[in-house]
Amino acid sequence: MAKGNSKKRPQVTADSGINLKGTFISVMLLGVFILVLWFGLYALFLSR
Amino acid sequence: MMLKNNSFSKKESRLYMSFMHVTFAALLVGGLMGLLQVLSRSGKFQLPFGINYYTILTVHGVILGLVLTTFFIIGFQFSLMGKTVGISDQQRKWGWVSFWTMLVGTITAAITILVGEANVLYTFYAPLRAHAAFYIGLALVIVGSWIAVFVNFRQLYVWKKANPGQKSPLLSFMVVINMAMWFIASLGVASSVLIQFIPWSLGYAATINVLLSRTLFWYFGHPLVYFWLLPAYMAWYAIIPKIIGGKLFSDSLARLSFILLLMFSIPVGFHHQLTEPGIDPTWKFIQVALTFMVVIPTLMTAFSIFATFEITGRRKGHKGLFGWFRHLPWKDVRFLAPFIGMVAFIPGGAGGIVNASHQMNTLIHNTIWVTGHFHLTAATTVILTFFGIAYWLVPHLTGRRLTPKLNKLGIIQTIIWTVGMTIMSTAMHIQGLLGGPRRSDFSNYAGGEQVSTWISYQMAQAIGGTILFIGIILMVYIFIQLAFFAPRGVQEYPIAEEEIDADPTPKILENWYLWIGITIALILFAYTIPVIDIIKHSPPGSLPFDWPIGR
Repeated sequence: MAKGNSKKRPQVTADSGINLKGTFISVMLLGVFILVLWFGLYALFLSR
Repeated sequence: MMLKNNSFSKKESRLYMSFMHVTFAALLVGGLMGLLQVLSRSGKFQLPFGINYYTILTVHGVILGLVLTTFFIIGFQFSLMGKTVGISDQQRKWGWVSFWTMLVGTITAAITILVGEANVLYTFYAPLRAHAAFYIGLALVIVGSWIAVFVNFRQLYVWKKANPGQKSPLLSFMVVINMAMWFIASLGVASSVLIQFIPWSLGYAATINVLLSRTLFWYFGHPLVYFWLLPAYMAWYAIIPKIIGGKLFSDSLARLSFILLLMFSIPVGFHHQLTEPGIDPTWKFIQVALTFMVVIPTLMTAFSIFATFEITGRRKGHKGLFGWFRHLPWKDVRFLAPFIGMVAFIPGGAGGIVNASHQMNTLIHNTIWVTGHFHLTAATTVILTFFGIAYWLVPHLTGRRLTPKLNKLGIIQTIIWTVGMTIMSTAMHIQGLLGGPRRSDFSNYAGGEQVSTWISYQMAQAIGGTILFIGIILMVYIFIQLAFFAPRGVQEYPIAEEEIDADPTPKILENWYLWIGITIALILFAYTIPVIDIIKHSPPGSLPFDWPIGR
């Protein structure tokens, strides 16, 4: 449920600048994996 | 969000458990057929009693791809609705009507296949013809699922009336999205079965428009895979955070992701027909572009999952770049099994992007790469998440507990599955790139040079498939324990809560008219002209073929 903003905020919340470096690196690695697989198979496609 | 913390009533539990019983019976039967297939394709074994390879292939696909998934999903979703918005006595009775209609349809189709009257594989492509009972059975499964669709719609409607102005519980919203997608998509296959296949198989229509039937199948067939996947996403978004001791990352992001999946799952079926003559390449290209839109909610989901893990870990005090990762609850099978499912979706999803890449599809089309692909997405990502759900859902429904011993057995099961599938699916992918065909029975193709490169991979598939079957036996054992023999107790039904100070979810995300309207508009845009073209310019329809692998 959405609550009013008058409530006291806890120390750390999802949007209060928590360190998400690990998440950033993880999703970048995921992107790299997709690109490597795609271009690898694209090269195979071209070679045939 | 007010949730029922207590267990379900006995009457409710019995309904939801009935779906689970069919699910795990289907797992055993379908898994056995899978074992027979890989052994047969190794070239070292022959099927006993003159059993036709295509009979077991059809049983495998129909029982696992259509029956297991649909029964598990509808049972799980009924439980989610019961837990979040409640179910009335009348709705529960209609739930039973749904169950029995689906079960009668399943038994009808299964018997027809097993007596050799429907060796048409789960895609039942025309002009292969099955006995009409096969199509009628499948139609009953779909009609039964539609009853569940409307019960779920009604459940949310009643809740909204009772709670004016409040946003719906996230999981009920997700269930309704999935059921809306399922209903819109299954209209395609249902109309094909009723208008084309049943009259044709009964001899009332002499011929069938093959291209139209395949187009209507894939109009349904692609959203079908999202119908399997979205309940896994429900667990990833809203249940796994609770299991790892965290909170929901973002209610709005989760809803937006589901809305995008609703919109972009359906008008994309042509990417399964990229090598099909008779469809204008422009429309194939448009549907390929729409397919790639699905990447957006998929990556949103990946981001959300990583962020949930990291935030939860950091709140618990785990330091370093990946300290949060090391301290995830690896010894809890309710987490481990779905987690392996998530990992499998990385190569699974990446492979899917290759499949849908128009010209690059020729690299893998009709090869066993595709079988390897959906054994990663459906048979690992989805199934391991479903197993992960069953570990707590089944004991919750039966008033029992997931004991440490059963949890350990579950971890062993997950490892067996991971090892077996890694071997089998990798071998399938590589053999597919070497040109090995899918679907077909073992053959040395008159000793062709290329064929000699395949056999070692087929052996590897037999080894992987055998390991997987051991995993299936173990899973069925765990299910029986959780259903009948585990100690009495209370097993938590884990649903993650929002942050206390979470931003309000924009009201527009619950504007059903808008999102379903856009979905229908996209479908009309992507399909109207090509379907008119297919109907107007098709070659003469085909007579039925009962040979070589049909009846």
